[in-house]
Amino acid sequence: MTLAIAVGFLAAVGTWLVVRGGAVRLILGFILLGHAANLIIISAGGAFRREAPLVDGELLAENAADPLPQAFVLTAIVITFGVTVYLLSLVARTAKQSSKAEDESIGRIEGQAEEEGRSS
Amino acid sequence: MLVASLALVGLTTFFVPLLVRYLGRFTGYPLAVVFLASAALLLVDSPEVMSGETIVQSWQWVAAFDVQFTLRLNGLALLFAMLVLGVGALVLSYAPQYLDPSYEVGRLYTVLNLFAAAMLGIVLSGDLILLLVFWEVTTLCSFLLVAGNGTAGAWAATRALVITGIGGLSLFGAVVLLAVKTQTTDIATVFAVAPERLTTTDLAIIGPLIVLAAFTKSAQLPFHFWLPGAMVAITPVSAYLHAATLVKAGIYLLLLFSPLFLDMPAWNLTLMTFGLATAVFGAFQALRQRDLKSLLAYSTVSQLGTMVALVGVGTSAALAAAALLVAAHALFKATLFMLVGIVDREAGSRDLAELSGLWRAMPITAALTGLAAMSMAGLPPLVGFVAKEEAFYSFLDTPQASWTAGQEWTGIVAAAIAVLGAALTFAYSARIFGGVFFGPLTQRKLYEPSWLFLAPAFVPAVAGLVLGVAPGLLNGIIDRTTVDVGFAMVQSDLSLWHGFSTALILSIIAITLGSILHFRRRWVMRWLGEEPPTPIAPLIFDRIWYGTLRFGAKVGRSAHTTSVGVHLFGVGVLLLGLAIIGFVVIPGAGGGLPAMIPGSAQPVDIAILALLVPAVVFLARTRSAIAALVLAGFVGLIIAVWLLLLGAPDVALTLLLVEFLTVVVAAPVLSRLPVHRDIGRSTTAAISAIVVGVVSGLAVWAFTGRREASDLSEYFLAEAEELTGGTNVVNTILVDFRGLDTLGEVTVLFAAALGLLAATAVTIRARQDAVTEVLGAGERAVLRVGARVVIPLLFIAALVLFWRGHDEPGGGFIAGLVAGAAVAVASIAGISLRIPSAFALLASGLAIALASAFIGPLVGGAALEPIKVDVPVVGSLTSSLIFDLGVLLIVVGLVRAALERLDGLGMDDEDASEDGSGDDAPSATNQATGVAS
Repeated sequence: MTLAIAVGFLAAVGTWLVVRGGAVRLILGFILLGHAANLIIISAGGAFRREAPLVDGELLAENAADPLPQAFVLTAIVITFGVTVYLLSLVARTAKQSSKAEDESIGRIEGQAEEEGRSS
Repeated sequence: MLVASLALVGLTTFFVPLLVRYLGRFTGYPLAVVFLASAALLLVDSPEVMSGETIVQSWQWVAAFDVQFTLRLNGLALLFAMLVLGVGALVLSYAPQYLDPSYEVGRLYTVLNLFAAAMLGIVLSGDLILLLVFWEVTTLCSFLLVAGNGTAGAWAATRALVITGIGGLSLFGAVVLLAVKTQTTDIATVFAVAPERLTTTDLAIIGPLIVLAAFTKSAQLPFHFWLPGAMVAITPVSAYLHAATLVKAGIYLLLLFSPLFLDMPAWNLTLMTFGLATAVFGAFQALRQRDLKSLLAYSTVSQLGTMVALVGVGTSAALAAAALLVAAHALFKATLFMLVGIVDREAGSRDLAELSGLWRAMPITAALTGLAAMSMAGLPPLVGFVAKEEAFYSFLDTPQASWTAGQEWTGIVAAAIAVLGAALTFAYSARIFGGVFFGPLTQRKLYEPSWLFLAPAFVPAVAGLVLGVAPGLLNGIIDRTTVDVGFAMVQSDLSLWHGFSTALILSIIAITLGSILHFRRRWVMRWLGEEPPTPIAPLIFDRIWYGTLRFGAKVGRSAHTTSVGVHLFGVGVLLLGLAIIGFVVIPGAGGGLPAMIPGSAQPVDIAILALLVPAVVFLARTRSAIAALVLAGFVGLIIAVWLLLLGAPDVALTLLLVEFLTVVVAAPVLSRLPVHRDIGRSTTAAISAIVVGVVSGLAVWAFTGRREASDLSEYFLAEAEELTGGTNVVNTILVDFRGLDTLGEVTVLFAAALGLLAATAVTIRARQDAVTEVLGAGERAVLRVGARVVIPLLFIAALVLFWRGHDEPGGGFIAGLVAGAAVAVASIAGISLRIPSAFALLASGLAIALASAFIGPLVGGAALEPIKVDVPVVGSLTSSLIFDLGVLLIVVGLVRAALERLDGLGMDDEDASEDGSGDDAPSATNQATGVAS
């Protein structure tokens, strides 16, 4: 029940951020949706057993959480990091290109102004 | 000798380019010799085949699917193989004389030879998969040979490829169904087990698929149009592929599979209806053509129709007649194509309106054409006459086939249509001969071509005569073929003269009618129309083709946008639909939801939610990117704590590290960007947010926490230590149980890092500048002192976590992230580390992970299988540790790449290179402090 509320809430805010648009919101929304997805996978294993799945000696398997969703989520988190980093590189690249284009157009206007000043 | 025969032709393909270099267009001659040698190798086996044996050679091919490379030689295969190799040898010795010296022959001969090998492969295949592969190769060769004739050929070739390609897919479907239902792909076994394993329903699905494959390949209505279109190819190609062999592959297929369908009236009725319709339609069209090649193409369509109809009759005599017609047709049609090519070369035209009286200049050419045309027209004493007589007999005897239930009218109707087709055939045959060679000679300076040019046409023309006079020569092979298509041994009695039989009377009617059609041509043409008709079938094809493309464009147009909402909309609707179905169906099926297992929600969860909700709300509302980033990190921290409480320490540790690294990596990029306000519509955003939130929340509530731990979970918990030697079950799943999965995932990380490296330029100084902007000199000094203590500790922690990962929380991912954290700290503090470059880390990581996969196979295990080695002092080691090392290196490489390249904006690349300091220069500058090497 608590997991369901958390998933619904994270998914809702994540969707809102993504649909609202803009590079930064896209990344933030992506992060929240990632959390929601990871919690869904964890909840698929059940939240009624909460011992770490370390089978050391006397630990009884009855109390251990399902290890398979954990393995999935672990790699998913790292992959999310990889994708986030890649998205950031694209954001940085487009931002840099647009700022460069801006600089150039400003430079051109200044050049024109200078020429006009000289001719007058 | 079976495999030697096929290998000889097949392997020659590789040497064709070499031959062409020295022999140019004369390469055809050695290739003809190769074909004859291959035929001789098959003939070595022929006495055994004729005495009733089937020769089989078989090798293991695809063990996983139990598919054998099986070659099989029986009478049916021998007949077709002789046609493929014999006509092939003739056409290849014709081509050198036909081709312009300037023609690009390398490609032509290579593809022709490959085609011959594939065609031979089809008829010798004893395995369904093998048959399918060769079938598709012939389709491709046909495409290449038609398209090879320049732009005019491209579209015709495409049409032919699409039509025959549909047939290929259809055959694929039939093969898969047969293989699944009979549990074998061996053709002989399929027939053996068919009665018990194939139900009538199976056959009702497989039958149409085979018929579609055969009809497209053998140009039956309504797919016939690709064959006249393919006439843009050069004449040797038309003679070989589109008259004698390729188009017969469909007939071969029908003959091969007819034993399965002999008891199904639908099969017989379909083949007879379409076959006879095609026979008459093709003959009418042939009569209306002026271009000799088009005429011959429609004639081929018509003859193929007759063959299909004969297979459809389904009696042993009819199948024998079909086989005989295949042979007779190959002989006279290849001859006619070659002679038309000669006329085209010598007189410069193949238009019936322009050619006339050539017999005066080219009497030998005229005589050979006459022989072949007589055979086609069904005149005695040629083999075409014998084949036609047999066909008439068979059609008349249709009521003897069990499927007709003795209905007398079936024989009468079939024979009447066949007579009409024969009459039309006589008329256009007469027109070819009369039109080209009779009448006044209008052209000057025409000569008989050289004997080298004529010889390849001479051989089959005369063979048609010899076999016509002594058809008994064919008795043996035809009888054997009948046995192969599912009948008891019969004694054929092929003969030129059977006395005054009904068939002879039908022949006389057909010839008389044909003569009237020919000599009263004006009446006929007034009725049919003087000009050759514009074929409509290709236009219909084009309409469907472009309609499909337009439909695709229309479907695709909706995705031509960068708006995220549009892309997510379809996915969202789909998921919503699935969720609704789930809510309705699943509780209904089981009588409501199972009860939630107690303990799924605990008081501590409420506390977590109480922290999470405000953090997320603030995150969504803030206008500052840095604040949003810090809040995102805080949200991640809360979730990590929760994961720890839920019994997932590995995941919690990973998330914690990733949150830290994300903040460090993203801060310089995001700090310079505004949070864009109000790009999407807020109502859309709100509605989708609420829908997604409610649906996903409800789905989690309804579908999870309501069953006990899965069997898989129990299995991993119970067996992990025994099977892998590791006690941290999550880690053993990552590196041992699901190693291939993890290998794929680290490859994704590798690719993401490569993309990052490619998308960004080297700008090293900016991060340190960004840090300097925030921190004063004093603070920075403190940071650096602290970092020098922290960094070595982090590296040691990484080593420990890596080493114990198999048993305790840790492992390659986590250790890699901790080491990455050390790199990040160094980066903030402006300390340069002596560690390999990002690319070196990534590449060595992937190489190590991949190499570790092969340790298993080297010692006789499976790929990625953990191999345990007992080392004194250290204890037992497994090969999965090496795999995990690869994972570690890739993660560190990714972090390092991100830190190096994502360091803010507005820095010019030149500044960085001038400065020369930074992570890429290991021992550079006063900042450098070597920590790990």
